[in-house]
Amino acid sequence: MENQTFYYDNKIVKNFAYATLFWGVIGMVVGLLLALQFIWPELTFGIPYTTFGRIRPIHTNAVIFAFVGNGMFTGIYYSLQRLCKARMFNDLLSKINFWGWQLIIVLAALTFAFGATTGKEYAELEWPIDLLVAVIWLVFGANMIGTIIKRRTSHIYVAIWFYIATFVTITVLHVVNSLAIPVTLFKSYPIYAGVQDALVQWWYGHNAVAFFLTTPFLGLMYYFLPKAANRPIYSYKLSIVHFWALIFLYIWAGPHHLLYSALPGWAQSLGVVFSVMLIAPSWGGMVNGLLTLRGAWDRVREDPVLKFMVVAVTAYGMSTFEGPMMSTKTVNAISHFTDWTVGHAHIGALGWNGFLTFAVLYYLIPRMFQTQLYSRKMANLHFWIGTLGIIFYAVPLYWGAITQASMWKEFTAEGFLKYPNFLETVTQLAPMYATRAIGGGLYIVGIVLGIYNLILTIKAGKFVPEEAASAPALVSTGSKRSSGEGIHRWLERRPVQFILVALVAILIGGLIEIVPLYLVNTNVPTIASVKPYTPLELQGRDIYVREGCYTCHSQQVRPFRSETERYGEYAKAGEYVYDHPFQWGSKRNGPDLSREGVVSGRQYKPNSWHYNHMLNPQLLNAQSIMPTYKWLIADDLDLSTTAKKIRVMQTLGVPYPEGFDKIANDDLMTQATGIANDLKSQGIQVEPTKEIIAMIAYLQRLGKDVHAAGNPTANITAK
Amino acid sequence: MLRDVFKSLGGFESYGLISMIIFLVFFVLLLLHTVSLRRNDVEDFSRMPLDDKSNESEDNQDI
Repeated sequence: MENQTFYYDNKIVKNFAYATLFWGVIGMVVGLLLALQFIWPELTFGIPYTTFGRIRPIHTNAVIFAFVGNGMFTGIYYSLQRLCKARMFNDLLSKINFWGWQLIIVLAALTFAFGATTGKEYAELEWPIDLLVAVIWLVFGANMIGTIIKRRTSHIYVAIWFYIATFVTITVLHVVNSLAIPVTLFKSYPIYAGVQDALVQWWYGHNAVAFFLTTPFLGLMYYFLPKAANRPIYSYKLSIVHFWALIFLYIWAGPHHLLYSALPGWAQSLGVVFSVMLIAPSWGGMVNGLLTLRGAWDRVREDPVLKFMVVAVTAYGMSTFEGPMMSTKTVNAISHFTDWTVGHAHIGALGWNGFLTFAVLYYLIPRMFQTQLYSRKMANLHFWIGTLGIIFYAVPLYWGAITQASMWKEFTAEGFLKYPNFLETVTQLAPMYATRAIGGGLYIVGIVLGIYNLILTIKAGKFVPEEAASAPALVSTGSKRSSGEGIHRWLERRPVQFILVALVAILIGGLIEIVPLYLVNTNVPTIASVKPYTPLELQGRDIYVREGCYTCHSQQVRPFRSETERYGEYAKAGEYVYDHPFQWGSKRNGPDLSREGVVSGRQYKPNSWHYNHMLNPQLLNAQSIMPTYKWLIADDLDLSTTAKKIRVMQTLGVPYPEGFDKIANDDLMTQATGIANDLKSQGIQVEPTKEIIAMIAYLQRLGKDVHAAGNPTANITAK
Repeated sequence: MLRDVFKSLGGFESYGLISMIIFLVFFVLLLLHTVSLRRNDVEDFSRMPLDDKSNESEDNQDI
């Protein structure tokens, strides 16, 4: 058959590669700033836009969606064309994908800095940007599927299966988790509340790790590792089992993020069982990657690309062993809410994603510029600085996590908490936080070296925007299975059917995890004393969400004696039924706040304390690492949104009386004046219309309803 | 041990069991199918990333 000549689009790959490097530096420098804020809280500069709660989502989203996302697109756009022996389906779609994605990143950074957030981790984008994400993601999908359909190879290689699973699953996750009713252009309430919201959010959160940070990178591993080692993958059969078992299993395991929470115990146990089972396919992939290097290990000593890959795949193996271990209840009791989770996440992000991204960049940039890497020595230096950076980052956090969890749980011989002041358990970690910042700093130094090396490589080479290739056209023999052709063999040449089967595979697991959502709906015990928030408390709650308080404070008391002694009554599913969104948090840089308003509780503080604490936390606790929130005292509450917020809440099923929206601001002013008068009696002059009043009202409400129920279990009635 | 695990699933024992059975059936079928793949096919597929020249018409025919 006659060869057809065509051209690979290298320009789009180059654009994504440059964006990867640019956003990588930005995202990680913001991360370093966050790390330094643990040591010097004044580095929030006393302004809202740089406080921990607002820039933490900028860091996580920038690293996940900007650095890793652009890195993923770089690798996919490069490898897909070569594996399909075809140019990308449509150049315009490629451009829309690229520029649309960069626009999303810029909008995300701006909106987070200005406090527009949904308050749901890794899904903080507000609804207009969510819509834009959906459009651009579909553009990417259309471009990818179009390319696969017009390919010149009969078989669809395993890397592409992982790309397909990424596209299909992220689409489902993004749509389901982003369902919300808008209040204003940059404020919405999710349609789920409390336990349901938590379950959907962590179904999303867990699988965003699976299908945004893992599957596309496994696809890249299956393409770039054989290329760099110049030998085929160790076992293609293992890759088939790896792929299907991984995508089928991963999606079941979300509830392991909610162990010891108010989620029903059976749903938690299901999450644990499937999380532990995940070790098998994950390690199948790791083993397949590492064994590909059999007989080529001598080259790992020389080739920086292979070095980065080996550490990346090893980090993947470490993370995917550690993750299931953290899913067991015994380990989770220690690891959850501590820096262990942060250490775990960074082994994945810096080791697996970061190093594999650089391996890919070191591989493809010299090739697209028809030259050699400018300096192998510099790349090796980058490798060692980066590796040391990861170790310096993670080890202190593991150490700190075990230290802090032990301090939280330690009792005196008389049966009292040995460290009743939460702050003691934070100040103890100062040396670990400092070492972590050094580790992060080292990693960034490595990246800067890497960028310098790549710039010099680019300068020395000549870019080939259109790379010529040739291959015979694909001869179609119809859609039916030929004799002797196995089902999978058939599937591997039928992209549309393959996508449908992958969709079914992830939907089975997804549905099995989502079914509890509906069972939960009928099993959330309703606590009679739990009432909707007053309009002032609702406004205060929205400020709490806006400022990202959940990034440091949980609202979830686990059923441990060490927690009930410290905070009060453990969490019940029924107390969160009006929480759109839930604010359980996943990390305690400060204490849990869910019993803050219980007047007789250990955590209670008067209104004046909250006022002074927001103004200057260090005045009350010299060693506190909480930043100032003094703008809450200066800024006026936006009363124009109150009525709309009440109406949206009514639509979501919150039982405010009919017509309450019309009198909501009167109710708000009455409660606000009461708090302002109380502050006045303590010598603090503040207008009742200031944001601080709403924030105080919300904090003083937390835990009150459950406390009012007395013995909570006696007052629970099934819905 | 499994019984203990599912005991902790409270009133939803069958739900947990059904989930597990669905996965195991899927996994066993997948395993059997994979083992039965033809060696030649598998070797060809695994060499795809290395095949940059792509002039072998055999590989490019939709069988």
